[in-house]
Amino acid sequence: MNDRQILTRDLLVLFGLTGWALSLPYYGSEFAVSMALTCLMYIALATSWSLFCGTTRYLSLATAAFFGIGAYTSALTLDTQGWALAIAYGAGIATAVAVVMGALVLHLRGTYFAVLTFGMTELIRHAITTWEKQVTGTVGRVLAVVPERDTVYLTVLLLAVLAVATSIVVRRTRFGLAMRGIGSDEQRAQTLGVDTRLVKIAGFALTAAFAGAMGAAMSVRWTYIDPTTVFNPFIGFQTVLIALIGGAATLWGPLIAAIVFSLLAETLRLQLPQLYMMTLGLLLILSVLYLPGGLASLRWDTFKGWWNDTRAWWKEKRYEWSGDKARDERREKERRVVL
Amino acid sequence: MSFGAWLELIASGVITGSIYALVALGLNLQYGLMRILNIAHGEFLMLGAFVTWVATTALGWSPLAMIPLSFALTMALGLVIHRLWFKRLTDTSPNVDVFEARALMVSFGLMFLVQNFASWVWGGELRGYDYLTDPVAIGSAQFAANKLLVLALSLVFAAALIVLLRTTLYGKGVRALMQSPTGAQLVGINTKTLHPLMFGIGLGLSGVAGCLLSMTYTIAPAMGEPYTVTALIVITLGGFGSMGGALAGGLLLGVVEAIGMHYTSPSLKSLLSYSVFIAVLLLRPNGLFHRKR
Repeated sequence: MNDRQILTRDLLVLFGLTGWALSLPYYGSEFAVSMALTCLMYIALATSWSLFCGTTRYLSLATAAFFGIGAYTSALTLDTQGWALAIAYGAGIATAVAVVMGALVLHLRGTYFAVLTFGMTELIRHAITTWEKQVTGTVGRVLAVVPERDTVYLTVLLLAVLAVATSIVVRRTRFGLAMRGIGSDEQRAQTLGVDTRLVKIAGFALTAAFAGAMGAAMSVRWTYIDPTTVFNPFIGFQTVLIALIGGAATLWGPLIAAIVFSLLAETLRLQLPQLYMMTLGLLLILSVLYLPGGLASLRWDTFKGWWNDTRAWWKEKRYEWSGDKARDERREKERRVVL
Repeated sequence: MSFGAWLELIASGVITGSIYALVALGLNLQYGLMRILNIAHGEFLMLGAFVTWVATTALGWSPLAMIPLSFALTMALGLVIHRLWFKRLTDTSPNVDVFEARALMVSFGLMFLVQNFASWVWGGELRGYDYLTDPVAIGSAQFAANKLLVLALSLVFAAALIVLLRTTLYGKGVRALMQSPTGAQLVGINTKTLHPLMFGIGLGLSGVAGCLLSMTYTIAPAMGEPYTVTALIVITLGGFGSMGGALAGGLLLGVVEAIGMHYTSPSLKSLLSYSVFIAVLLLRPNGLFHRKR
């Protein structure tokens, strides 16, 4: 398939999925819709996360910060400004924070960057908690005016579709190529004339905009928010987990993983919440070890490779346990002495 | 403020600081030697604390007897984890950068695994037991006996590790590996035994810290994460890979937190430590005590 055919395929798949998701509120139960909302939220978060972090390989743990900022902005402005503006503000403020944060920390790579973004998320959470306690004298906020369920659903769907569409388009622009260049070799990209600083900050801000808008849209689902709920580091962790297990460098990987995990979460979480989290942890370890490209890189050959590896391993062990290995080594040694 | 009150304040900072130092030393060993930034490090502290709690309340054993046991247990766990996952990761990663990112992810998974295992088995409540709670007067200040014991023991363990690394041949090998992995391997230092061993010892120290901690504070399955973060802060303060720096950084952070909390409010504790952390990482990424050579 050439590039144009892939683009057409991706757009068609997205179109089909959108149509299916659009019709869901009309026949699905209340439970199905709420599950779909979680799915769509993680699709948008994971896709926009891997748009920047997957291509440049900068591991950001700040998703929870942008999500929380979006949610808080929406809680503060929803009464006066209306639904669409509240979301726009959420995205805007998250972007502004991301630009400042990016300008501060994006010169650091690897572990330093991951740890710093996590630290900043916690800093923002604690700062808002303290501010709420001391200045406004509350712990959380109640959202009194909540829009209709269908409005929320359609907005979240729109954001998810926008995130995937942006990911499809950005991959084909100079901007996307520059990010990929940074991911494979930052110095070389710099030498070839990419303004890496600008590209990184722009990419980081783009991720933050989606997370902020998503936070603003999802905040109405809780009707009561406090810093511990909306800045929950688990939102950030789960986004990263989903993107990595799905395959952060691919387009459809995060989407597939988001659907799988939201379904798994809803079915397991009610009965055995710990078991769900343990599965998540174990799956992450196994996917990093045995499937570094993520679920999306799974092909028929991968299974064949595993099968061959297991057989080779077993053959090796049988050779060792039967005593043949020891005998062969001994003979080898004796032969050496004779010569 | 009277002299006694000052002494109490500083001492309480040093006591928490010594636990920070012990946890940070283990993490620093893992990161400095193997480039594994073990986010799950604090979870093993939690495991050590819970094992001690079970032995003390259900079996009636002395927490002191649990110190070597929790060390051995978490160290054995560390060896198994290294054999199962990190060894394979070292073999399959093309370069150090990729290894570092993947090791971070694996330890994330490990964190989820261990933390939720504990809350599945023991439930999420706060737990604790009483041990040596009588006050001891030193000058005009008063301390709980168990806190003094914790301070003494954690300083002993931290010093023991540092002395071992300074004087023994193994320690020399470890320091050589930290300076230059390839060079150390060229002169015949065996990474195949040193890596699992040091990973195990790192986790073992964390287990000991948990055991000591359970003597004075209440414990819960979620207690590990704040300590991981604090340990990260401490090793950034002291410089990645520097053992003396981690000890000094831990004590310093404990005292700064204690004084800061006294002058502002206890709810600002995390805000304070995160600000210190970010300021140090941005301004002096090689650690406070780093000198240019």
